[in-house]
Amino acid sequence: MLKLAGACMILTGCFGLGFWYRRQFTGRVRALRMMCDTLSLLCSEIRYGRGTLPECCEHVADRLAGTLGNAFRRIADKMQENTGESFAQVFEECVRVPLKDMPLKEEDREEFLRFVSAGTFGDSQMQLALIEQSREQLDVRAAALERENVEKCRMAVGLGALGGLLIILVLC
Amino acid sequence: MDNTIIQLFPAGRRGFWEYTAMHQKFVREIRLRADRPIVVHVDGREVFLDREGHFTDCQAEAAVITSRELAELLEHICHYSLYAFEDELRQGFLTVGGGHRVGVAGQAVTEDGKSLRTIKNISFINIRVAHEIKGAADRVIPRMYDGGSLKSTLIISPPGCGKTTLLRDLIRQVSDGNKWGHGMTVGVVDERSEIAGSFCGKPQNDVGMRTDVLDACPKSLGMMMLLRAMSPDVIAIDELGNREELEALSRAAACGCRILATAHGESREDVIARFDVSKAVWRQLFRMVIILGKENGNCVVKAMTEGGETDA
Repeated sequence: MLKLAGACMILTGCFGLGFWYRRQFTGRVRALRMMCDTLSLLCSEIRYGRGTLPECCEHVADRLAGTLGNAFRRIADKMQENTGESFAQVFEECVRVPLKDMPLKEEDREEFLRFVSAGTFGDSQMQLALIEQSREQLDVRAAALERENVEKCRMAVGLGALGGLLIILVLC
Repeated sequence: MDNTIIQLFPAGRRGFWEYTAMHQKFVREIRLRADRPIVVHVDGREVFLDREGHFTDCQAEAAVITSRELAELLEHICHYSLYAFEDELRQGFLTVGGGHRVGVAGQAVTEDGKSLRTIKNISFINIRVAHEIKGAADRVIPRMYDGGSLKSTLIISPPGCGKTTLLRDLIRQVSDGNKWGHGMTVGVVDERSEIAGSFCGKPQNDVGMRTDVLDACPKSLGMMMLLRAMSPDVIAIDELGNREELEALSRAAACGCRILATAHGESREDVIARFDVSKAVWRQLFRMVIILGKENGNCVVKAMTEGGETDA
């Protein structure tokens, strides 16, 4: 009876480990998708609302939940204070921290921040094109990861379960 | 409104502009030209800014603004979103927080050589500091009412004699209500953002509690929009410029609206001749005409005319 309970626990533990890895693989895709959605919202605000970037951030924050939503709210508030800091400085300052907490690679973070470091344009089409470019890059990465992840996730869960069985067999 | 011009400058340059901001009350214009000395118009005289940002008459001590600083300033003024001010930049000016007007010039980009697409390489910025004078209309307002009813009024003046300042205060007093008449709903079509000085749709100047402002909209189009949407008692516009606008005003008057308007000119005849409309039409449209001018450098009301009778 005790052996059976132990075997169940080992199997559950290994299975859980497999699921944890699965979550890690899908976490980056989710974060990338969230970043794409954020940039899409920003583009819509610029395209249809013709607001300034701080205004657009405020509107995006209204529609965005979670840490990125809070970060965008902070950007809008700080720009409203008009301390003289540039938008790029404020944006990086507010967004870097939540981005660090997400399961992303440094290149993903840089891509997200690329449009602010490039400066702004006097033409809305050019401004939109710059943000769309970042969004597309992130979208391509997310799509590629999604394709790879199907196999990876299956493997992680499978290896977890099989690993558990192997340990049980060795211990028996 | 004190010291609001400091908000126009990025953090790194605020120390330099602090002295000018402290004297904002006296500053009329700040003229910035790439790689040229900074010129400030203070109370009718022209001064330079030295390296510390203090006023100086000595050109040799004058601080120079670089192209890069100018570009940074423009980015900051536009909230790092130049694209959002595309239309304003095309017109050559934008109104910023505090109601100040920033005029720009540089290299024009045209479309087929006909219309202006945008201005690039902006190398000249002129900041016109807003000075709202509450009470500017105190001396004319008692004559503008007849038994509590407002008379439609045209303010005629050469440039720089205070017609927009007078109109702004008239709007405020008519809207809030005063000793001679109760408060009325005023619709302002502020094509060049000079009356309300709106920034992001919000008036920066006090234009009264019953005033609705349609900002940056062509006057003839805006008047019809306001009539349909906001049903104002009074329609106010600055710088009546063409027949189309005059016709829109006539339509507004036919709907029972009172009119407050300004026009460039030296006299009533001067304005009538420019629009090629009979005197009777003018008399029907405007019961009162106020003519402004300058005397000893001061802006004064030269004459007030009611129904063709001049009263100095």
